[in-house]
Amino acid sequence: MVEYQSIQQRGFHNTYDENGNISGFEFRFVPNYYKGLWFTQCRFGNVTVDGETFDRDDLIYEYDGLEYTREEMFDLEKYWQFRTPLTIRVPKKDGLAIGYHQIQLQFGWVLNYNGALEQEADGSGLGNMSHMFGTDHERKLLLCR
Amino acid sequence: MDKKKGHPQRGISVYSYENLLGRTMTLEDCFQEMYDTGATCFELLTSYIDNYPNPSTEWIDKYWRLCEKYQLQPAELGHWAENHLHRGPGMSDDEMVEELKQDFRLANLLGFKTLRTKITCVNQICDPEPGWQSYIEKALPYAEKYDVRMQNEVHLPTTLHTPHIRDEYLDFIHRTKTCHFGFNIDFGTFQYRAAEGMEHMPWSFEDVTKPEEIVDFLPYSFSCHTKFTNVNENFEETTIPYKEVIQLMVDNGWSGNLLSEYEGPLRFSAEKSPENFAAAMEVIPEQIRRHQIMMRNLLGY
Repeated sequence: MVEYQSIQQRGFHNTYDENGNISGFEFRFVPNYYKGLWFTQCRFGNVTVDGETFDRDDLIYEYDGLEYTREEMFDLEKYWQFRTPLTIRVPKKDGLAIGYHQIQLQFGWVLNYNGALEQEADGSGLGNMSHMFGTDHERKLLLCR
Repeated sequence: MDKKKGHPQRGISVYSYENLLGRTMTLEDCFQEMYDTGATCFELLTSYIDNYPNPSTEWIDKYWRLCEKYQLQPAELGHWAENHLHRGPGMSDDEMVEELKQDFRLANLLGFKTLRTKITCVNQICDPEPGWQSYIEKALPYAEKYDVRMQNEVHLPTTLHTPHIRDEYLDFIHRTKTCHFGFNIDFGTFQYRAAEGMEHMPWSFEDVTKPEEIVDFLPYSFSCHTKFTNVNENFEETTIPYKEVIQLMVDNGWSGNLLSEYEGPLRFSAEKSPENFAAAMEVIPEQIRRHQIMMRNLLGY
């Protein structure tokens, strides 16, 4: 079971390296869409936390125990199971302070119906579904560790 | 001599519970709800199969146990014929046929005889992307092998007189003489006015499908979405001419599956606030129950 919001609070915490030092933070994301998606049709954007933007190509995406870069996900022939979270790991020296944070994430996909097909076939954009579902996700989360 | 009356099956699409599935309801919870309504069949979406497209034998066993325990027959599997799943140009016909075969096999394994096949289309009225006939025709022998019927969904704002319905889909059926391709006629196509709380929807209701238009398409239709947005406390859907359409289906001998599909305002706004989600938890299962009572009243069983 997951929370009803696309950005999940469960799983939000700082990350630690092998020496026990904070290396960044991570949170989980589940699309609100009514079906699953192939990762190859997904388009990931930047993450912004409290106004600070983290480039989409600096993020690590973990699914089913394996880590991928954004570029690697274009070739990931795997089905993103319905209501299954993807962990987004953000490198950041000293991580985030304990307390509330405003998390924003851009995410889209190539929708094969209800609109014109994707214009940016190189995968540079956020797909072709924003007219129906939008690409901006935002939630205030409470960090404890 | 009078035509033999039809006897449609009364069913539910699990999609109706989509906002709650995996959040507050398990698949078994959905089956339990469906059993309570007296429905006898259901639609599943491929996405609701655990580990799609490779479900475990444990999951398949569990699925059949649910069907047996709650006395529900598989009716339709909703799937997608998407050909833009990668960067660059669309997929080849061979790749598309493989994608379709995979879902045909799964449908066969899970007991579904009909499919709602979402063919890639290029605008809101769902004009199919040119070239669809080629891969669908190549997939027909496999549809026959796995005993499934692909159905294009006719969904608002598409009507039964939208040109591509006859010019492309019906023409394809006549040319190939196949009985493995047809139409899932979503009852939203008959909706003649905006539903309460959904006045902002971007399409007009001036040129919708008229009930009598369905008759020509019944021989090519096996499962239909009995779409609804709101059923009142008197068990009436006041935006779709249910009584007329069902009467035409029964009088013309149609005995397919009618699958309740909730698409009311909370379907699109449940995630917007804690209040909306709390409302969805109560309203959505209740709406489906009301709709099933309405269908029972209309069908007489």
